[in-house]
Amino acid sequence: MEESREFLAEGAAGTVKDLSKYVPEARRKPGELGMAVLMFLLGALGYYFALDMTSGEYSSPSVFPKLASTVIMACSAVNFFKAVRREKPEAAATLKGYLLPMDVVVVVVLLVAYCVALPRLHFVASSYAFMVIGMVYLQRGKNIVRALLISAVSLAVLVAVFRYLFLVILP
Amino acid sequence: MEQNLQYFLIPFLSWEMMVLIWVGVFAGIWVGAIPGLSVTMAASLLISFTFSWDLNSALALICGVFVGGVYGGSITAILLNIPGAPAAIATGIEGYPLAQRGEAGKAIGLCTTVSVFASFVGIIVLSVAAPVIANFSLKFSPRDFFLLAVMGILLIGSIGGGDPIKGITAGAVGVLLSMVGMDPSTGELRYTFGNIYLMAGISFVTAMIGLFGVSEALTQFRNAGKKSPKQNLDRIIPSWATFLKYLPLSIRSSLLGVFIGALPGTGGDVAALLAYDQAKRTVRHPSRPFGTGAYEGIVAPETANKGAIGGAFIPMLTLGIPGDAVTAIIIGALYIHGLKPGPMLMIETPHLFWMIVSCLSIASVALMVLGLVSVKPFAKIIEIPKEIIMPVVIILSVIGTYAIQNSVVDIFYMIGFGIIGYFMRLYGYATGPMVLGLILGPMLDANYRRAMQGAENQLLPFLEGFVTNPISLFLTLAIVFLLVSQTSFYRRWRGLE
Repeated sequence: MEESREFLAEGAAGTVKDLSKYVPEARRKPGELGMAVLMFLLGALGYYFALDMTSGEYSSPSVFPKLASTVIMACSAVNFFKAVRREKPEAAATLKGYLLPMDVVVVVVLLVAYCVALPRLHFVASSYAFMVIGMVYLQRGKNIVRALLISAVSLAVLVAVFRYLFLVILP
Repeated sequence: MEQNLQYFLIPFLSWEMMVLIWVGVFAGIWVGAIPGLSVTMAASLLISFTFSWDLNSALALICGVFVGGVYGGSITAILLNIPGAPAAIATGIEGYPLAQRGEAGKAIGLCTTVSVFASFVGIIVLSVAAPVIANFSLKFSPRDFFLLAVMGILLIGSIGGGDPIKGITAGAVGVLLSMVGMDPSTGELRYTFGNIYLMAGISFVTAMIGLFGVSEALTQFRNAGKKSPKQNLDRIIPSWATFLKYLPLSIRSSLLGVFIGALPGTGGDVAALLAYDQAKRTVRHPSRPFGTGAYEGIVAPETANKGAIGGAFIPMLTLGIPGDAVTAIIIGALYIHGLKPGPMLMIETPHLFWMIVSCLSIASVALMVLGLVSVKPFAKIIEIPKEIIMPVVIILSVIGTYAIQNSVVDIFYMIGFGIIGYFMRLYGYATGPMVLGLILGPMLDANYRRAMQGAENQLLPFLEGFVTNPISLFLTLAIVFLLVSQTSFYRRWRGLE
């Protein structure tokens, strides 16, 4: 779905791929087998922990957890074998390059740092730092003054609207 | 009759109520557009500071926020692929590709027009058929709600996109995650591992913000530097011909929305998804293939979730049973103001019924004006470079998540769901089915178990109920139809392939 939406973004004026029919891709993506295995493990763990719940009747609390876990395991097995049957990923495509390009890594690190800083520095300081660093990094160090200004104005508007107009409590 | 008309005219004759309705709609649009800031939250905040107000004024403001808020959720779904509320998930499936083509203005314009139409359908049904529908909705047993949830789960095929097996996997993961926490019927802890935060369960709104908001931002950062599409804002208001073209679908979906909204415990989110699925199955020649920006895929969910507003008031005003969370809060407001919601409400205070009908009608007109006026500024949002807009979106997601229950832990969950959602998208597991699983999981679990307990844990009596009860039989046949309609045999027969 996502690739198709990217496709739409690129080819706004061009032809459009028909998404109403699913056409599997010829090559599997780097790490696709690993993802199927992880999903299977999630289902297996879900089932394993559901064994501790009360069971024995058709209306026991464990019925749906077991059912959902079984569906996850069965579907993951199908996903795994479907992926195996497809061609290997291109030699140039590495798992790290596909999963975590530098921009994504930086943003995730920033997000985690932001979450950790929130209870200590509170909303305004930590959000301002997150926005400024994020904008400056994503604009590759250009327009630092613009980033400082946009962050300040956006934050001021957000605080005014949510804290004072809508009376929402901020972290 | 004459007296009812007098009651209906009260808000029209009070400038204060008029202003409050318009302010409510305006505020609702913006609150609804922020993921996590829900209409429910806005209504509950309003109750606290309208406590000392006159009831009429309080109701005017809340009705305005309700109508505006449900609409606002769709704006961010269309512009940024981040639904402001679960009821807008289906809208984003078609709306976002349209925005990527530069047609955000036209999409929001159509969304506004059909939304107003559907609000009026809901209001008309509320005014003429409220008692009949309310009594019918009371006949729904746990087995029927279970069947309704099964119908919802079958939508995975519609909103999954791409590989159906991966869609089912994601949906099942959502159902599994919805089981986390204290079992509401026995109090037993499921998947909590001794963690106190997990006892309350995982909020599907938190998951939705992470899976749609943060994962969308991360996915966008993969393409940093790519220019946002220029939006064409020449023709925002759809022509009469366009409106008439979508009229049959609008009527069908609005009525579906009214009915689903009238069922206690189900609301605009389920209605919108069911209507989207129904459109996908029945529209023979969509403006574009579904999934690539079909206008029918915006009309159906938008009319359904607006129809559900009028629907939600039906059991509330006639029986004192809330149709959804917002009407539950309004019931609270009525109690605060000394009224007793219940079957006698319409008999003892008929003015209240007609005043709410009137407030909703004015709010719908206000929505038309304010919605169309806001199209241009909204559509401009998408042209802001993503290096600037995405950090702001993340901050909004944080505000929205924290506001749910003032918990920093929820923000961690939200970020975690964002990262999981990002990986899922990369491997073709759509995030929509996972949210659907989280929404419908508790409804499936609780109603199945209630129905089974009603059949004294015997499989045969439980299954018998599906064919002996008329409502259950109808829903079972509808599910069979949904399954059959997915087969290529049926699609060829109907000329859909």
